[in-house]
Amino acid sequence: MADTTPKSNGAGEPIITVRNMGKSFDDFVALRDVTLDVNRSEVLCLIGPSGSGKSTLLRCLNFLEAYDAGEVRLDGELIGWQEGVSPRKARSSGTLRKQRQHIGMVFQQFNLWPHMTALENVAEALIQVKGMGKAAACEKAQAALAKVHLSDKAQSYPANLSGGQQQRVAIARAIAMEPRVMLFDEPTSALDPELVGEVLAVMKEMAAEGMTMVVVTHEMGFAAHVADRVAFLDAGRLVTCAPPADIFAREPDDARVRSFLQTYRERNVV
Amino acid sequence: MELDLFVRYGPALIRGFGVTILCWAAGSLGGLVLGFVIACLYRWSIAPVRWVIYAYVEVIRGTPFMIQLFILYYGGPYVGLVLSPVQAGILSFIVYGSPYFSEIFRSGFNAVPKGQVEAARCVGMAEATILRRIVLPQMLVPITPPLTNFFIILTKETAILSVVTVPELLYETQTMAAETFTYVEPFLVLSLFYWLMVIGTNWLGGRVEARVTRHLKRA
Repeated sequence: MADTTPKSNGAGEPIITVRNMGKSFDDFVALRDVTLDVNRSEVLCLIGPSGSGKSTLLRCLNFLEAYDAGEVRLDGELIGWQEGVSPRKARSSGTLRKQRQHIGMVFQQFNLWPHMTALENVAEALIQVKGMGKAAACEKAQAALAKVHLSDKAQSYPANLSGGQQQRVAIARAIAMEPRVMLFDEPTSALDPELVGEVLAVMKEMAAEGMTMVVVTHEMGFAAHVADRVAFLDAGRLVTCAPPADIFAREPDDARVRSFLQTYRERNVV
Repeated sequence: MELDLFVRYGPALIRGFGVTILCWAAGSLGGLVLGFVIACLYRWSIAPVRWVIYAYVEVIRGTPFMIQLFILYYGGPYVGLVLSPVQAGILSFIVYGSPYFSEIFRSGFNAVPKGQVEAARCVGMAEATILRRIVLPQMLVPITPPLTNFFIILTKETAILSVVTVPELLYETQTMAAETFTYVEPFLVLSLFYWLMVIGTNWLGGRVEARVTRHLKRA
């Protein structure tokens, strides 16, 4: 069931390594002892019941949440915390910004900047962060918008775009920075059902081009058909991480996976 | 109506109007800037600084403007701060307006969704850039109406400056009234001047509002 599109070279070795990672909010333990690799050019879907820690795990990968135990590394570099310093000390804001430039993120609520046109949303970071000239940035932003099939909406403000279009602009904003990995936090959960398809189609195209993607999703169809591996979380723990064929098998080994997928089966989603 | 009175006192009234506009413009713009600085400090500084700011805001908001003006003008010299009436008027206006402005800015900061800032952080934007490019332009949408409103309120607060002999509009009008024993006409003219300021400010606020909300228009 996994997508059989050939991946670009360098596929296979891990690009993100998560080791014994944990995160607590006061007394609440959101994540404990998570160990996980994301391979280059892989699509990894994170699934699980709400409150299981999927989004928190994703947000720890780019240090939007500061994990408080274990390690997250991108290409071997420790994310967020200074290397080998105990007790932990956060990296300088400049270093953190550099690290984040390599990690694109797409949010459930799109989070486009409403006072900027689609083109300006995409070009903003190219100008302000990468220091590109306005003309060059706009040209690159146009190319990114073309990738998400929105060339004709470049001059529209977010208020005049549908949810699906807004999310595709948000994807263009992230890919224009040429990140090494892309994180998606429930990218289709805020969309009307008829708009989900256009966003998933763009994500499939990115996957086919070899983008490394970590996707928190409730779209079991996407997880089953596009993901290379699916990780199931429950109560802050990584229960299993396996190819979708195993996870979505008629009788998954783990009882928690079974009961979680039951509700989807009842709706004939997988 | 004794029109010749206005020929005689016209120049003084116009001068007074000029002083009123000067005190209002300098005082409220200064208050706007100070209020913004206060709101930023409150948001991004350590707890002791926040307590000081909190106390400042509460004290200034909790006391009448006239008292603040008296303390600054008559009390200032005791600590070596000797000010002309106009200087005292402008400075006290800045102090008086700043906590109100800072509260408006504070509500503006809170009105910008957290996700907007997170999205900017995710593409590696620096905090100062986020403030300038993302947060400020967006908070202008909810805060422009209350800012306009407060500027309008301040136009009329300038009248209080007459108590420390700032030669502003009310002061000149009172002089005219006292010297000529006419009371109705001068104060009608006075009202007209304030009304001009208010509609001018209101018009300007409307223009700013149209400018900062243009992205919300349906195409």
